[in-house]
Amino acid sequence: MSFVAAQILNGIATGMLYALMGLGLSLITGILNIPNFAHGALFAVGAYLLATVAVAIGNFWIALLVAPLGVALLGLAIEYVGIRRLYAAGHDYQLLFTFGLALIISESIILIWGPIGSSYLPPEVLRGGADLGFTMYPKYRLFVMLAAGLLVFATWLFLEKTRYGAIMRAGIENKEMVSLLGIDIKMLFTVAFALGAYLAGIAGALIAPIRGLNPSMGVDMLGIAFVVVALGGLGNLLGAIAAGLIIGVAQALVAAYWTEASTVVIYAVMAVVLLVRPQGLFGIR
Amino acid sequence: MKRPFILIMVAIFLLPLAVRPAIASEIWIFAIFGLGLNLLLGYTGLLSFGQSTFFGSAAYVAGWLMKIHGVNAFLALGIGVGVGAASAAVVGYLCVQRSGLYFIMLTFALNQLFYFTAYQWTSVTGGEDGMPGVPRPALLGIDFKDPLIYYAFVSLLFLFCLWLMKRIVESPLGKILQAIRENEVRAEAVGYNVPRFKLLAFVIGGAFSGLAGVLYAMLFGIVPLEAISFVFSGNVVFATLIGGSGSLYGPVIGSFVFIWLSESMSTVWARWPLLLGMAFVIVVLFLRGGVVEAWHKLSLKFFLRK
Amino acid sequence: MKILETRKITKSFGALTAVNGVSLAIEAGSLHSIIGPNGAGKTTLFNLLTGTFPPTSGSIIFDQKEITGTPANRIAHLGLARSYQRTTVFPAFSLFDNAWVAAFATGKSWNGLMWKPSGGFPEASERARQALHDVGLEGKSTQLAREISHGEQRQLELAIALAAAPRVLLLDEPAAGLSPDETRKMVALVRALKGRYTIVLIEHKMDIIMSVSDRISVMHFGSLIAEGTPGEIQKNPEVRRAYLGGVAA
Repeated sequence: MSFVAAQILNGIATGMLYALMGLGLSLITGILNIPNFAHGALFAVGAYLLATVAVAIGNFWIALLVAPLGVALLGLAIEYVGIRRLYAAGHDYQLLFTFGLALIISESIILIWGPIGSSYLPPEVLRGGADLGFTMYPKYRLFVMLAAGLLVFATWLFLEKTRYGAIMRAGIENKEMVSLLGIDIKMLFTVAFALGAYLAGIAGALIAPIRGLNPSMGVDMLGIAFVVVALGGLGNLLGAIAAGLIIGVAQALVAAYWTEASTVVIYAVMAVVLLVRPQGLFGIR
Repeated sequence: MKRPFILIMVAIFLLPLAVRPAIASEIWIFAIFGLGLNLLLGYTGLLSFGQSTFFGSAAYVAGWLMKIHGVNAFLALGIGVGVGAASAAVVGYLCVQRSGLYFIMLTFALNQLFYFTAYQWTSVTGGEDGMPGVPRPALLGIDFKDPLIYYAFVSLLFLFCLWLMKRIVESPLGKILQAIRENEVRAEAVGYNVPRFKLLAFVIGGAFSGLAGVLYAMLFGIVPLEAISFVFSGNVVFATLIGGSGSLYGPVIGSFVFIWLSESMSTVWARWPLLLGMAFVIVVLFLRGGVVEAWHKLSLKFFLRK
Repeated sequence: MKILETRKITKSFGALTAVNGVSLAIEAGSLHSIIGPNGAGKTTLFNLLTGTFPPTSGSIIFDQKEITGTPANRIAHLGLARSYQRTTVFPAFSLFDNAWVAAFATGKSWNGLMWKPSGGFPEASERARQALHDVGLEGKSTQLAREISHGEQRQLELAIALAAAPRVLLLDEPAAGLSPDETRKMVALVRALKGRYTIVLIEHKMDIIMSVSDRISVMHFGSLIAEGTPGEIQKNPEVRRAYLGGVAA
């Protein structure tokens, strides 16, 4: 029993990170209307940056602050230099561009950090387990749940309660209206891309102590982020959380009994949901 | 038709003199793969980023049958076509109701489903190491182990595929698919069941991909895991776009450029995908419209004019 | 004989009821106009008739058969063809191909769909040519749809509907955005088609309506408020208040 409970907790922890990935991607996809195939690569950069900075300065917390900001900066540069010029180019070229970026980034990771994966330990205070009554559970994963939950909540606050967040939501629904309101739409696009990159970066930073570092981690996560968006809907906060948790928990439970199928199950769940509900979880296109 | 056809015939005869027969074969195999994608991308306006699903599935199934059960080459190719079409029917069924970015992401996600299945099912696929030992069985007494004979066989199949695709795009189906690309709402209103036609395009594209997949497995004697990965899906999109998705011959030109470039790059540097990524970025930022258009810009118009 | 009929059809989008309990009967061979202020639900009514979406309640009867909920692509085969208020053509196609695609869809046979050259369907080609001829575009059949003028695109819009050889034509503001001169040509065109097809016409320009219609139905806020001959409609006080009054002022 406690084993199953622990697995469900694991699923919730990773599911929250999936939700963060999906949320960032759906902001970018929904507002900029581009397929971002570099989203997984940004995630990987977040993980590698965290480990590198934390080792260099010997402080996990500062690294956790700095790494996602670095990714957001990278996102800013990508939008400013490249994607900005492609809004009228059609999805095929946008896809090729972001796919090219993904290749460049993941190959650069191999060049800089080497082709072999490595593990990275959580900071002292978060090592070991905590007794939850029904099971012992790693402290770091509890921290991830808390942190990811806070981030999702902060994103929600930003989107629902601030003026700029409202503009962003409007940008997903109706871009013409936003530009008619006299809002700098170019700026909005840049901010959205940087914010999406930030969320990917922090998801990567948070996952590093759980799953370690590995050059293919970006691609693996890219597919998962797509699944979250396909199920949850573009710019749908609740949808991203629900989809992230569903596949996170499903994956953790399957992993407990049939490890080999633990990745396949994510996509299988998506296929089944789409077969039963072609419009996704919350009735989008 | 005349001028491109003559150019292609000349290329078929000259290519083995310029590059190794294996590379030459790979170019025409990849062109078949591209023809299948372009029915979706160029004609129907559907950007499928999961074409390696059909390519790889066919390669694994047919490769396995040849390796374990000694199935002959013709039957293996037929089975590959069938597996390609069937897997495309499954993927297409889930995707055709979606449009735009959802569609692209969904084709990719389903590609990942097939990829991870192959990755984990090591007893059959060999996982990361690929599935080696795919034979090149003799056919009607002709020994395909000779690279040049196999090249001739691949070239013939390519010509057949090109002819077939030309028939298809010049048939009413070709017009209807283009009508869907041009205006989906009106195509539906004048009496076409749009999702069903999209599905048909998927199935045909999948059949071409399947054929290419089996030929690829026979060429290299192995089904590498990459054959079913998103990298292959991306490569064929790239090749088709640099060739120009607007014409029947675009994927052929694209395959030529892409395979040649990637083969020469990969022998120079193990991290060549980095260069490939840069090529993607450069093409998108500076050479949109494909090689065909770039050539036109260089006022070589007379050379390619139909 | 009634060829097309609606019985209390209603369409709601969330809280908004775009079409509210409309019962309409179209006589075969007549030209029946539907007028009403912007947002009265006329185009939504067309979308219901052509199966773009199903009604929330009520039924649609075409040629004594219930067709409620039949999808758009099937409706075309039954003999109902429409034009659009906003030009909806195939931009990269030649004018001939625009009409041909519609003609082929409702053609007798799709044998050879995948392998016969598209030139090898004489019946569809003939109908496409005839449709372009009927709207006066036969001289431009090899030009691309995106390269012709707006007025010509409106004619093409009509040709695509005609190429399907329909029994009922639903025309949604065929003269939208046309100059006075082009409008005169379009009116002449609609008048020439009258009698050959049953026509349901949505139009804003009152002079056109009054001069070509056999019967007129007036919609206001999703409901039908009056129906009659042009003479009766002009005299109807409720119509004057809801619609004509607005124009006069």
